[in-house]
Amino acid sequence: MSANPPAVSDLPVLRLSNVESAYGPIKAIRGVSLQVRRGEIATVLGANGAGKTTILKTISGILDPRKGSIAFKGEDITARDPAWIVQEGLCHVPEGREVFPLLSVRENLLMGAYTRRDRDGVARDLELVHGYFPVLRERAAQEAGLLSGGQQQMLAIARALMAAPHLMLLDEPSLGLSPKLTREIFEIVVRINRERGTTILLVEQNAAMALATADYGYVLENGRIVMEDTCTRLRQKEDIREFYLGLKEAGVRGERRWKKKKTWR
Amino acid sequence: MKKPWDPSHIRPVAHSVLEGETVPALFWNAVAQRGAEVWMRQKELGLWRSWSWARTGEAVREIAGGLIALGFQPRDTASILSNTVVEWVLADLAVLSCGGVSNGIYPTDAPPQVQFLCEDSNTAILFVEDDEQLDKALEVRERLPGLRRIVVFDMDGLRDLHDPLVISLAELRHLGRDYNARHPAAVEARVDEVQPDDLAILVYTSGTTGRPKGAMHSHRGIVYTVRGYNTLIARTQADECMCFLPLCHIAERLGGEYFSLYTGARLNFVENPETVPENVREIQPTVLTAVPRVWEKFYSGVTIALKEAGRLQQAAYGWAIGVGGRVARKVLAGQPVGPLLKLHFAAADLLVLANVRKLIGIDRARFLVTGAAPISPELVRWYLALGVPMLEVWGMTETCGAATGMPPTRIKPGSIGPAARYNEVRIEAKTGELQVRGPNVFMGYLNQPRKTAEAFTEDGWLRTGDVGAVDADGFFRITDRMKDIIITAGGKNITPSEFENELKFSPYITDAVVIGDRRPYLTAIVMIDQENVEKYAQDHDVPFSNYASLTRAPEVQALIQSEIDRVNRKVARVEQVKRFFLLDTQLSAEDEELTPTMKLKRKLVQQKYAPQIEAMYA
Repeated sequence: MSANPPAVSDLPVLRLSNVESAYGPIKAIRGVSLQVRRGEIATVLGANGAGKTTILKTISGILDPRKGSIAFKGEDITARDPAWIVQEGLCHVPEGREVFPLLSVRENLLMGAYTRRDRDGVARDLELVHGYFPVLRERAAQEAGLLSGGQQQMLAIARALMAAPHLMLLDEPSLGLSPKLTREIFEIVVRINRERGTTILLVEQNAAMALATADYGYVLENGRIVMEDTCTRLRQKEDIREFYLGLKEAGVRGERRWKKKKTWR
Repeated sequence: MKKPWDPSHIRPVAHSVLEGETVPALFWNAVAQRGAEVWMRQKELGLWRSWSWARTGEAVREIAGGLIALGFQPRDTASILSNTVVEWVLADLAVLSCGGVSNGIYPTDAPPQVQFLCEDSNTAILFVEDDEQLDKALEVRERLPGLRRIVVFDMDGLRDLHDPLVISLAELRHLGRDYNARHPAAVEARVDEVQPDDLAILVYTSGTTGRPKGAMHSHRGIVYTVRGYNTLIARTQADECMCFLPLCHIAERLGGEYFSLYTGARLNFVENPETVPENVREIQPTVLTAVPRVWEKFYSGVTIALKEAGRLQQAAYGWAIGVGGRVARKVLAGQPVGPLLKLHFAAADLLVLANVRKLIGIDRARFLVTGAAPISPELVRWYLALGVPMLEVWGMTETCGAATGMPPTRIKPGSIGPAARYNEVRIEAKTGELQVRGPNVFMGYLNQPRKTAEAFTEDGWLRTGDVGAVDADGFFRITDRMKDIIITAGGKNITPSEFENELKFSPYITDAVVIGDRRPYLTAIVMIDQENVEKYAQDHDVPFSNYASLTRAPEVQALIQSEIDRVNRKVARVEQVKRFFLLDTQLSAEDEELTPTMKLKRKLVQQKYAPQIEAMYA
């Protein structure tokens, strides 16, 4: 029996209850309940097709859930207009960056601040993101489409930061990046969280990285959460070690191909 | 269309359909008689592949030749550690054809259990399914000096393995081909040497208490029993069966493999234990034997599908199953079904019931057989209402499977039927224990003369350990396992299984253990049905993340409480369950708490969850 995760603080920044989303007849998430506490980095781990991206899309309003509810800062945001959700302070960094390729880096960043009226604040935040990502200052005038993958990822995160969000959804920031760049980006993600106090919900396939970065983790399989715990404890679990971190006993023959049955304990 | 009022399609076959007094003799006669006809099918890479009798014979002959070439002697033991696959049957028949003893090991067993079973049975050759099972054997090889060779069915991932102890089934067959070419009559000579009274198979009882015991069955006992089965649950060469329960269990070994070997009914092997529902749907077997857990699963599958269905469909089902229920009541009461009701049933069958049967995979089924655990009478009625009679059989490893069985002409749900005509069953007056005598009763436990002696009465009847009663028609009814009977602190004798079976009928409950021996009141440990409870939680907006949080949700607790209340209303006050707790770990067959047939082990569960049990009495 797993020791139970600590009781969740009474008012999490984000709370999903029994959210079910589908693409036509295909249910991508089949009842997900999770919460993200203020100031923490939470992560959702899962294989391809587990439903990770769907969760984020449902939160940010791009996809309307079939069932369940989503509360952000105590307010029901289920199936609200994505533009409105952004203004509430919830920013989504989509999978595959999705920067505006023909706009310059600077224009991309200003697009992030589109909803804001406080020009001083915007200028301050521009300085701030340039502090996190100096390369974006160097390339300010360059078209975003000409940046490298890693730089585009930085830009995507920076663009989200420009909206001064309370909660940032990060969808696979490591996608297509070298291990070194991945590490750098994750370091900055942690800094953003610690220094700015931005709450982060991170979705990742790179489990080792996500578990090292996040405070609390959920494991998603076939659209359902099968395990949740602090990342420190998750890293010790046998199933996580075998199925997500690739650490397994070699067995008597020195090589083991067959997989143990997952028990999620 | 089904005609549940007409059981004429289930006729006992009293004459022998295949000659032979040993299992290999039966098999080789079957190969000679049935040649090119299909005996087995197995799905490989998405296609059903057929095994004719001739092809099976060829493979068995090669494996047997290979075993002889490896020095496998008559009366040597070979064990098989594998899921239910065609190769299991091939290895089994080859071992028996060599005059050897064949023993099955559950693929869910852990290495120490594999070691114990190999040691106790003195296994010389071990057949394993694949690398996963092989690793178990290799882990304990040092402690098994008697083990001469391990034969691997499926060598995927083992190409680089070079171990003198390990040989692939293909290599063994190759060895056998060469050996048979040089000694063309060797296998036949071995087959001829086998005597009916020789030990044929070992079936280890799952042993909820203590170590497993190896029940010994002779060729004579097995051959006698399969001939007997044909007077009880007859099948023919025209029948399609499924083969999916563990072959190390007596039910599939006798009722599946050997009974089908005798009758010529086709065996269809499922792809793996998880695909049973799909495979049953594909095959639409004409007779289907399964354990109550499978029947419960089918039933709850229909219940759940129905909840998702539209109003019209729900109403149509409600009407149709109502008509089916009326027919079932008439049939069960032995009353004729009137022409109007027949007409109604024909319409219900056409519009709804046939579809439900197709969904389950029993549309072609002439009848269903259930055994190995008690089944809820409600469930038997439900299947009859669908138009398919379900015949309950009762027996145990030591009786070579069924010892009583429900006659199709007179079904009494809740009863296990009269004694099968091939053995005698009596109730001991003092204890109420059912006792069995007949040639199907086993030879004893291997290496355990004391346990064997304890298993029999002084006048030679097998003590089954089940307590029951018999009615005026000679139908038996089991109330409980003798050792499970609860005597409460108030001195009241209570048979927990009746309550447990009622609970298990709930789609939300997979298994339950009622507790209360020397306690002031009864309590229960409940294992929920994950799929259905998750669905319930989802439909009722009950937030949960993992399994444990699901079991802790107050709404789920309330749901199970309502199921317990439902059963409580049916029983006397002292028999009511006052408190319960839900197991909050998801158990699988690998877990010690479950038997290989996925039943909770009463004793073990009581020990393991002692603190939680104490809390219910605090």
